[in-house]
Amino acid sequence: MARSVRSDGRLDTGLALVCVILAVLALILPRRTREGLAATLRTSVLSPLVALEGRASSVRAAVVARNDVLVTRGLVATQALQVKAVADENSTLRKLLGLSARLQDGFVPAELLPPRGAGDEFTIALATGSDAGVQPFLPVVTADGLVGMVQSVDRATSFAITWAHPDFRVSAMSVDEGAFGIVQPHLGAGAERWLLEMRGVPFRAKLEPGTLIVSSGLGATYPRGIPIGTVLGELSTPEKWARTYLVKPSVLPEAIGPVLVLLSLRTQRGVNGVWTTVSAADSAARAVAAAGDSLARAAALDELAARRTALDAAADTLADSTLAFVAGGRVTAADSARADSSARADSARVRIRADSGARPRVRRDSSKLRPTVPPPVTPPTTRTGPPPAVR
Amino acid sequence: MSRPQQQTPGIGSALRAWLGFTILLTAHFAVRPLFDGRANVDFIVIAILFSAVRMRPGLAALIGFLTGLAVDALAPGSFGASALVLTLIAFGASWLKAVFFADHVALTGLFVFAGKWLFDIAMTLLTGGASGASLVVTLLLWSPLSAALTALLAVVLLTVFRPLYRPHTS
Repeated sequence: MARSVRSDGRLDTGLALVCVILAVLALILPRRTREGLAATLRTSVLSPLVALEGRASSVRAAVVARNDVLVTRGLVATQALQVKAVADENSTLRKLLGLSARLQDGFVPAELLPPRGAGDEFTIALATGSDAGVQPFLPVVTADGLVGMVQSVDRATSFAITWAHPDFRVSAMSVDEGAFGIVQPHLGAGAERWLLEMRGVPFRAKLEPGTLIVSSGLGATYPRGIPIGTVLGELSTPEKWARTYLVKPSVLPEAIGPVLVLLSLRTQRGVNGVWTTVSAADSAARAVAAAGDSLARAAALDELAARRTALDAAADTLADSTLAFVAGGRVTAADSARADSSARADSARVRIRADSGARPRVRRDSSKLRPTVPPPVTPPTTRTGPPPAVR
Repeated sequence: MSRPQQQTPGIGSALRAWLGFTILLTAHFAVRPLFDGRANVDFIVIAILFSAVRMRPGLAALIGFLTGLAVDALAPGSFGASALVLTLIAFGASWLKAVFFADHVALTGLFVFAGKWLFDIAMTLLTGGASGASLVVTLLLWSPLSAALTALLAVVLLTVFRPLYRPHTS
């Protein structure tokens, strides 16, 4: 038993020594031989393990690549948002620069201070104050239009109410000066809270959706011509003697950025032609409408001239036939009746058409050209009685 | 030091041992590449140590040598190093198994920790992959960390797959 254990021990030790010697030999083999031996093992008995390891590495690479893609996507999204914010700010500043250039003088640019928290969403704090000439009741504007009015002023800061403030009022008119009213916040619920309404518009003044509303200049605060908003539609109110319109503000709440405070002198001088884009657009619309009116007027005058020519010809014919009747007495009663009725019909036609030509049925301020409809022509009535006496 | 009396394992125990060894060997090539880091779990060391405590030292040395050759074949720059180190570790583990009472979980964890650390030290010194401060960091930081992870996994395996990896349970 002891011999068996001893021989087993020797066998184990011998086997271990052989393995160690082989391992050392593998370690000190020439490089080329080692690589050849390793390649032989990899392509034979170890090929399943090599494939397994390769597949696992591919899975890890895919996971890492997906993580990289997600990280890259997040970075790109962040950068895109930053680019859009920068572009928006750039656009706002460019428009403000354009407005400043048109105003030339009499204003104070002001940055907005951070909002003070909830419940104060209708007031903005400006980083400019009485040191820069800002006073209460001065209008605050952007390139898009009216923002509000300065309410209180410190030396370096000031506070202004926006058009959404419940106390905000401005005398307004449609840009074609066809309707006047008072614009104030629409104290509705939800998103409608951020709309305006134009009250007290005379009942005869009908405003179409999209009509631009500007300040009328009545009162001492807001000069004439500052865009306030565009008409969305008419509101139904119990006041039947005046109309109320819902107005979409020109300056949306999220677009209120850097602003300009118009100083007193500039307010007194007015801002005519400053918001040229809207004025130009409206002028262009009126020019198109006027061009349409002139074309209609020209067409009516041409028609009138043609009918006058026809009238003259008919009068000549009537005179000739009358003279022949008087002179020769050979005109039959039927001929006389036909000539008479023809003359009456022509005169009637000429009278009607002359009237219609004198008053072309196109409104002067209408932007849509209405086709001129010729008046109905009364057919000549055939009279069966004796011919009337020629006067 | 006289070697304690060996107990001959049954057929079922041997089969379970080979199954556990194959699973760990497969995991070394299928799972380990998924976790790329300085401190890694070494399934090969666990497989060698777990199988060595069930074998005679000579057979354990042979298994260690062949497994080391397989590892070396995939890293031909240090061909033979793993074979040498794993041969010695397997032989020593099989020789010392009775001393360490391999059925004790905590001692098994310590056993695996020591085996893995020794393996890393030997491999680092044999391959000469690091020197100076890097060598110190490798031997005293990353190698112990890898050894700890490997020992932790060995304890988990020993606890969860008790019939597969605990010797003499049949």
